[in-house]
Amino acid sequence: MIFDPILDLFRGKAITIPPLDGALRPNTALDEAEVVAGLPSPDNLVWLDGRAVCSSGAAVIALEHGHPRQIAEFPAEVTALAVSPKGKLAVATDDGKLSEGGHEVQLPGGIGCITALAYGPDGALWLANGSARHPASGWVADLMEHGATGSAWRRLPGQEFHKVAGGLAWPNGLLPDPGGITVSESWKHQLIRLEGGRMTPVLRHLPGYPARLSPAAEGGAWLAVFAPRTRLIEFVLQEKHYRYDMMAEVPRDYWIAPALRSGQSFLEPLQCGGIRTMGIHKAWSPSRSYGLVVKLSPDFAPVASLHSRANGHRHGVTSVIEAGGRVLIASKGGDAVLGTGGAA
Amino acid sequence: MTFRERLQQWRYNLIPDHVIGEILQKRWTDNAIPFLALVIVVAGFGTAIPGFFNPGSLQDSTRQLGEFSLVVIGLTVVMLGGGIDLSVGSIFALATFASVACFFLFNLPVWVAFLAALATGGLFGAANGYLIGYLRLRAFITTLVTFIIGRAVYDILVVNFGSAVQLSDAMSDVWDFVGDGTFLGLSVALLSAIVLAVITHVVLTRARMGWHVQAVGGSRRSAHNAGIKVRRTVFLTYVFSGLCSGAAGFLIATRLSGAGPGTGLGLEILALTAAVVGGNSLGGGRGSIVKGIMGAIIVLVMTNGLIRLGYGTGTNQMVLGILLAVAVTIDIRWLKNRHKVLNEVYVAPVYLKMGETQSAAPGSGTQYELNNRLSQADAIGLGELEGPEDVILDRDDNLYCGTRHGEIVRFFAPDYKRSEVFAHVGGFPLGLAFDRDGNLLSCVGAMGLYRITPDREVTRLSAETRRSLTSIQDDARLRDPNDLDIAPDGKVYFTDSTKRYDAHDWTLDSIENRATGRLLVYDPATGKTTTLLDGYRYTNGVTLAHDNKSVLFCESWACRIHRYWLDGPKAGTAECLIRDMPGYPDNINRASDGTYWMAWLGMRTPSFDLSLRHPGMRKRMARRLPQDEWLFPNINTGGVVKFNDRGEILQTYGDLSGQSHPMVTSMREHKGYLYIGGILNNRIGRYRIEGADPAWDANTAYWGKRA
Repeated sequence: MIFDPILDLFRGKAITIPPLDGALRPNTALDEAEVVAGLPSPDNLVWLDGRAVCSSGAAVIALEHGHPRQIAEFPAEVTALAVSPKGKLAVATDDGKLSEGGHEVQLPGGIGCITALAYGPDGALWLANGSARHPASGWVADLMEHGATGSAWRRLPGQEFHKVAGGLAWPNGLLPDPGGITVSESWKHQLIRLEGGRMTPVLRHLPGYPARLSPAAEGGAWLAVFAPRTRLIEFVLQEKHYRYDMMAEVPRDYWIAPALRSGQSFLEPLQCGGIRTMGIHKAWSPSRSYGLVVKLSPDFAPVASLHSRANGHRHGVTSVIEAGGRVLIASKGGDAVLGTGGAA
Repeated sequence: MTFRERLQQWRYNLIPDHVIGEILQKRWTDNAIPFLALVIVVAGFGTAIPGFFNPGSLQDSTRQLGEFSLVVIGLTVVMLGGGIDLSVGSIFALATFASVACFFLFNLPVWVAFLAALATGGLFGAANGYLIGYLRLRAFITTLVTFIIGRAVYDILVVNFGSAVQLSDAMSDVWDFVGDGTFLGLSVALLSAIVLAVITHVVLTRARMGWHVQAVGGSRRSAHNAGIKVRRTVFLTYVFSGLCSGAAGFLIATRLSGAGPGTGLGLEILALTAAVVGGNSLGGGRGSIVKGIMGAIIVLVMTNGLIRLGYGTGTNQMVLGILLAVAVTIDIRWLKNRHKVLNEVYVAPVYLKMGETQSAAPGSGTQYELNNRLSQADAIGLGELEGPEDVILDRDDNLYCGTRHGEIVRFFAPDYKRSEVFAHVGGFPLGLAFDRDGNLLSCVGAMGLYRITPDREVTRLSAETRRSLTSIQDDARLRDPNDLDIAPDGKVYFTDSTKRYDAHDWTLDSIENRATGRLLVYDPATGKTTTLLDGYRYTNGVTLAHDNKSVLFCESWACRIHRYWLDGPKAGTAECLIRDMPGYPDNINRASDGTYWMAWLGMRTPSFDLSLRHPGMRKRMARRLPQDEWLFPNINTGGVVKFNDRGEILQTYGDLSGQSHPMVTSMREHKGYLYIGGILNNRIGRYRIEGADPAWDANTAYWGKRA
């Protein structure tokens, strides 16, 4: 409309986010999925020695026929896991340390926020460093500061780590392949591909913040989206004064920010659509947390998705793996590891 | 407080932004753009043309304006009725010829000439009206046809009789007076235009016929459904337009004493431009005579001015065309977007720094610490009820509540399984109270204070108070009457929560946080309502203190309880009893042990409290996000709090799970039980209070034993 530029002076531009439509059409698949194990904050899932292993707080837990058993414990929260082609378990913790097969690995300066680990088919260990300013547990603060200080690193067999890419907005998932690697860049809601020193976006405008990537059995990939974008949060991200005052004065759990779980306390922010009316919490209502797993085709186009909507509980999915004939999903906000039979 | 924050406070608390939204709500703002154009045009040409404001020159211009305005008034009425009349030019010309012929060729008196002009106009108008109104042809094509035929007839007549008219020697003083004379310094043309404008305006805005015209223009179908004779109304608008053109034709005949080939040529374009530039909608239903007159002045000043500045006809036509295009664009865009602009600018937040509060979080160990007791309440009316804001019990233990459908529902004692609609009031019944005679009084949101007798007769007691002097929006009307209580002398103390939002938009008032809540009293002896206090942030619950010497009322968005003294040395003044609570208080009621119950409709959140100190952020939020995305106080968790006359907090009851009673807007103690209502809930809760007097009934406490 021709008067828009004039009217914008008085009203400002509308803030919009990508819709949940097409392959991302909402369903309740996550809420209906079977609970494989109830664990506090299950995070990174890997497949080790024919069983699923996942991190939970500072512990690493093996899930054997639905019985969780602790196999290791660390002094700080575990932030990433990976299994090498030879079957060694690499573990990163929130204090910025990395161990491989039980031995601590010397890291170069600048790595202190390991959000994801992955071994390439050539045996190289890839590492995502979320931010240069915050530990992995400080992701909310990094988002609120518009952080773009993350980096991706690679260690070829027998060599030292070296930086492949810098200036990333919280790299949070890695999917190496023979030619290069695909990285999820959370704060830019996109997947990028690093290949031969070039960085190209392969999937943009996600309706949430992407977390870890893993290969799907029949080609393509699984993407965990750990929190939704909401228009209020996008708005607050543009409101500098309010945002900095909020970071200074409001406890972090009660920020207007994405979260892995919500509705736990009456001190959390509430949006109009989230008001419980006539006993109903509306599924479509804006929410700080959401459960979303996306299946991607080999060329990284979404083809299917599993959801837990605003009124569901299986929120904050940070990791998905497909192994042993089924898809395992770690709902960190829902305190459960879920399983669905094969493809969604 | 930082300098920036103080600047914000000044900016948002001292500059009355809300005025813009309130002015935009007024219908007369539609006139603002044409009026501005009028001022610019008159001032512009007035300075560019020397002698523009000379009496002689002005006399000439106004005479022309008078004739032109008559035509425009007629066309405006047609457009208001949803039509268009392109034939005004040819009707005008034919009417001119009719009067000229009567006067000069047939030597008939002036009044016959006038009637002949009117008859010509009326006849052609009736033809238009019949074809469009009754035969339902397209207005545009039909009047185009009338225009072509009328013009052709006129051309033939002028060629054949033009010279005969010029050779005639008919004379009349009346004719000359109408054409050249003045009355009180005003020409006859201008006077008749003024008289007609006033009459038409009054008819359009005050009379049944005028309302019918606007209704038909606004929506033909709705008008038909409402029983209006649509066809006849349309017919009459064209007749009226024809008569107006006829009258104007007579006036120009007297002024020019002749009829030439140029008479009325292009008049339909001029008139149409005038009507549209004035702001009359081409779609019908919206417009006024004043707009038409403004448009007429703009167009006439512009065309005459351009000629006097030496521009040719081509330029003139082009300017008119551009003017018409701009006016039509603005008309359509403005009509379409006005409510959007209004929506975006209406919310005008103010700055507020909330006081530090004690935590109500479980485990905090404070007096406000919430628990999960209310989740054990039994549900009454689950799944049947929608929105019981307040609940009350009568002497026979029956339970009453309002619903969002505008009904008062009664649940029968003793098990409250059976219910009936006790009375239908409309609006949204909120606060409830029984008076001495067992009548149920209710504050009905969006309506006023109502009384329902035991035999279900509904009477309005009050819907207005005195208007405040500086109000733009009429604040005499009660917008959101919320809760009430009745004093022993029968006076009803009640609150009207906000002047800015309607009852169903009550949550939006929390975003704005402007202090417009009132405490009012209704006196049954005089039937008058008086404003006792004004300027509180959402006045809500009201109760009389146990000693009847003061009224307790709460200020929801400020999280405070106030006491208004009725008696004693401080009578007529208010003081704050409890401040800085962690929850937003709603209704207040008496408890059996001489203390009080207060409902919390929601809880403060740190992020919302902070946003109250960032009014600019809230304003941008209201403009840039859809309402469902707006940040609200947390009204998904509430509770019930007991306090005493000294303002000490004694007990709290909450439902942290949010399953049964997320938001609590009222509670009523009755015979050992607490009955709990919530404006957004689908049930009433019934909770057994430990240690409460099992015989205590508020009706007895207020009005004594049953007579």
